[in-house]
Amino acid sequence: MNEPNTLGASLARSGVSRRSFLKFCTAMASLMALPPSAAYAMVDALNRAQRQSVIWLSFQECTGCVESLTRSFDPTLEQMIFEMISLDYQHTLQAASGEAAESAREQAMKASWGKYLLIVDGSIPTKDGGVYSTVAGISNYDMLVETAKGAAAIVAVGTCSAYGGIPHANPNPTGAVAVSDIIKDKPIMNVPGCPPIPSVIAGVLAYFVTYGKLPELDHIGRPKVFFADTIHDRCYRRPFYDQGKFAKTFDDEGARNGWCLYELGCKGPTTYNACATIKWNGGVSFPIESGHGCLGCSEPNFWDKGSFYKPLAVPLADNATAITAAALGGIAVGTVAAVISRKHQSDISKEK
Amino acid sequence: MDLLQFARGPALTWAFVIFAFGMTWRLAGILLLKRRPDYSEPRNAVSWPGAIKLIVTRSWPRREFVHRTAFGQTLGYIFHIGLAIVVFGFAPHILFFKGMTGVGWPNLPNAVIYLSGAITLGALIAVLGRRLSHPVLRLLSNFDDYFSWFVTFTPVATGMLAVAHLGARYETLLAIHILSVALLLIWFPFGKLMHAALVFVSRGSTGALFERKGASI
Amino acid sequence: MSTLDNINVKVINPLPTQQVDGLSGNADAVLHEIVALLETYTTTGEMGAIDLHSLPLTPADYELLRATLTEGEVHAHINAIGNSDIHETCYPGVWWLTYYNAEDDIVAELLEITSVPQILKAPEEDMRDGLARLRDRLTQLE
Repeated sequence: MNEPNTLGASLARSGVSRRSFLKFCTAMASLMALPPSAAYAMVDALNRAQRQSVIWLSFQECTGCVESLTRSFDPTLEQMIFEMISLDYQHTLQAASGEAAESAREQAMKASWGKYLLIVDGSIPTKDGGVYSTVAGISNYDMLVETAKGAAAIVAVGTCSAYGGIPHANPNPTGAVAVSDIIKDKPIMNVPGCPPIPSVIAGVLAYFVTYGKLPELDHIGRPKVFFADTIHDRCYRRPFYDQGKFAKTFDDEGARNGWCLYELGCKGPTTYNACATIKWNGGVSFPIESGHGCLGCSEPNFWDKGSFYKPLAVPLADNATAITAAALGGIAVGTVAAVISRKHQSDISKEK
Repeated sequence: MDLLQFARGPALTWAFVIFAFGMTWRLAGILLLKRRPDYSEPRNAVSWPGAIKLIVTRSWPRREFVHRTAFGQTLGYIFHIGLAIVVFGFAPHILFFKGMTGVGWPNLPNAVIYLSGAITLGALIAVLGRRLSHPVLRLLSNFDDYFSWFVTFTPVATGMLAVAHLGARYETLLAIHILSVALLLIWFPFGKLMHAALVFVSRGSTGALFERKGASI
Repeated sequence: MSTLDNINVKVINPLPTQQVDGLSGNADAVLHEIVALLETYTTTGEMGAIDLHSLPLTPADYELLRATLTEGEVHAHINAIGNSDIHETCYPGVWWLTYYNAEDDIVAELLEITSVPQILKAPEEDMRDGLARLRDRLTQLE
């Protein structure tokens, strides 16, 4: 028999049939390219698992990441992740406010110390004692450090919490940093994107709840199941790149024919994300399919890597002035050298 | 700043500055040198046809030496033409030039570029092999020859690796490719690669001199 | 006529397939994998499955799969967080499962090689819950 507080029992209580749950697990396994048999293992593990306590802290952010997940295309399927977790604190979604809200966080921390999953969206301002973003009078920095202490693992959702994102962009007036810049002694998974794909957020959370650990990560902390390939390598317009067919403007013949957007500044070749395969809005399309190049939003410092419309092959700086100055300098030095040489020659001929 | 940002940013800027400075310095320095006055009576009053004739004839092996020089010259032509196709025909490279000069031109299909790149690499390896195995050539070669070969070879090799995604992540390979081009630009004015700018100047001067003296060209 | 209609948009197939028949060769691979999985099931009783979304299939590939694995004797419909369509193919024990979400987009599509797919079997815990509910109902009636 099931323990009353297991995930299986809680799902049954909220009227989710086990068939629905198997269906959810199959969809998640398919999404993460796990073998189909993994779905049964997931069902088995999750049925016996406790509901995972989750504390979600929102710092210097725009709420786009929360919107991405909560307004995902398929409320019944993807929001099932909310059935699998016990979201004990999320100041945008929770009903409680003020003292009650903060005490919910403290209670959750106490109740599952060392076991809860900490989700963070938004960067952490560090300048001037972190005054630029506070919740209940506590600076983001202090709240992160305090809450991270009892976390089993941390998931940084969105480019801001993963790599600093837009608040971190030059000149970074608030001294914004990523979670991994502050917390060094906990496993941290980055799920970047501006915002991340909702299925990706749901998928990695399902993975953690199922296996009790984070999936395999790449060198900048991203789960490899979703961030192993570049947009360019998975792009349906890739054959046009290989044929050398490019759109030169957003309204020319090439653009209408759906040719490659490399020349219009597409960052697909250097961007690792799952947009080209999972797509957005329930698989409708992704930016390139809508006719705009990739901005590279899941990469660190994407905001500061030159114009979104500058092709990857073009130097970042405008070097014209420097080159002209160097050329003029070269002519001057060359002329002086020639003059000295001429003088030397005539001196020699005079001596003769 | 990651490696790619460094490569596309400061590394390229400094490479361009050194390249532009070095090229103009050397060209101005050479072209403004005092010519030795020639007091001899010219056999031919007009010397420029000789200059053009020598530029053309020296681009082809002389019949007497053809069996000795054909191999080396063919290899040379192959990798020079291959380099030209890769450098000026590949769409991202054209964007690079367009970004600098504002002038663009139609690109070649990538398959043609990949094939040219592979042939160029093969020819470059063959010329190095010839340099190392040919006793006279080996004796004549110095650091400049090997380093100039190296800075020509690496951009082609790293470019091929980048498009094939071999050995490292694409952004790292692209950064290494751009850095190798930066190295090429920095070395260019000061080593034997300067022949690209001077080869026809020197041939032309020699040809003009020959014409004046009435030597057969 | 709105001005938007004046924009001449050409919709072309963005993935020109190399062969004229539009087959990528993956359909053939799937069919051979089914044979291997059927062999395994008939000898060891171990079930197998193929996720059709895990490999790129062109429309022609799908056509070939559907034409080869025509509908068999059993067809089932499940209504749980959206529809699910399950049918046995003309090869007994080879099941084609298509899971839809509430908006009828496909969220998973797989082939299962087994006597009865797991999702069709009534889960024991749900049966126990149902038993309890029926007992309650009878006590209320009495």
